[in-house]
Amino acid sequence: MRSCPSSIREASINTIPFSVVADLIPAEAGGRCAARFGAFDDADEAVPEEGRCRRVLLVSDVDREVLATSLSEPGAVVVEACEGGLPAGDWAAVSVPANGFYLSLATATAFSLVLAPLVGGVLAARRVLASDKQSVVELCLQEAVANAVIHGNLGISSSAKDHPEGYRVYSQLVNSRLGDLELRQRRVEVFARWSGGALDISVADQGIGFDVAKLPAEIGSHSRSGRGFVFMRALAGQVVVTDGGRCTSLRFER
Amino acid sequence: MEFQARNLADAIEARLTGRLEFTAHDRLRDIVALLDAPNLRRFVVDVSGLDFIDSAGLGMILILQEEAEQKNIKLVVRGPRDDVKRSIDLAKIGEIVSIEY
Repeated sequence: MRSCPSSIREASINTIPFSVVADLIPAEAGGRCAARFGAFDDADEAVPEEGRCRRVLLVSDVDREVLATSLSEPGAVVVEACEGGLPAGDWAAVSVPANGFYLSLATATAFSLVLAPLVGGVLAARRVLASDKQSVVELCLQEAVANAVIHGNLGISSSAKDHPEGYRVYSQLVNSRLGDLELRQRRVEVFARWSGGALDISVADQGIGFDVAKLPAEIGSHSRSGRGFVFMRALAGQVVVTDGGRCTSLRFER
Repeated sequence: MEFQARNLADAIEARLTGRLEFTAHDRLRDIVALLDAPNLRRFVVDVSGLDFIDSAGLGMILILQEEAEQKNIKLVVRGPRDDVKRSIDLAKIGEIVSIEY
């Protein structure tokens, strides 16, 4: 999956549909995806596969309009190309139902794109979210994406802010790590699935993870960090962390 | 997030617009720099034009509060509405920062 066919490198358009032969996907990759994202109890209609192929949209030069359009298709699998072509990761093995979509972005793109309202807008356009639920979902998704980008893939601890002038150090750390090719190409995955009663959104990263047992149940009002999980737990119906802290799954009633 | 600063009779006001979120730390230093104005005693952060704030944005408000406290400047957050008000209330920021609704 790391190689890059010349037709992809030389393409002048920024979206390339292609198919992944399901039989060629390593079983262990499917197992890792199942463990990371879990089962969606109410999963219904699967996306019709053409033979044993899964359709994937490879996107370079990502912009909001292209992403919103791409994610509007039933069972969309949208993957941002990396600077060497196809990105590493298990994206080809994710089983996406028709009532769902999967998105894999580079960290640098997830940082700059303002992802939560884009995804919220797609969910609203696909009539998954009523207007009164959209802002709650967007805030929770914002917190999960921020954790995946900053603490996960860029490896920056919240404690970076916890001393005088800490915010300057923190800001410099973010900028320097976004300049690191390996870190900025790490993946942020957003996987949404829904049924008549529930919407699940998982956000995954490729960082070192964290021990969820060490998360405080409450945060003092003076604390400079740590409110993200407090927000998610207060506003989402359920918050589940898997894959050693690399994946946060949020469930909302529809 | 964008902001505009202006001098009031007894204060400096920074009016924030857009989204105050985890990508905005670069702008924080520009707002903190406003606290260096001579003889400043009151600093107003007008968030009525702000559409969204996340937990990192709330952390920035608290950093401003600490920086202001160290300089004996009274910090006031003015006019939170809708999603911004919800986040401020949920995080109980009003327990340590003066909020004018």
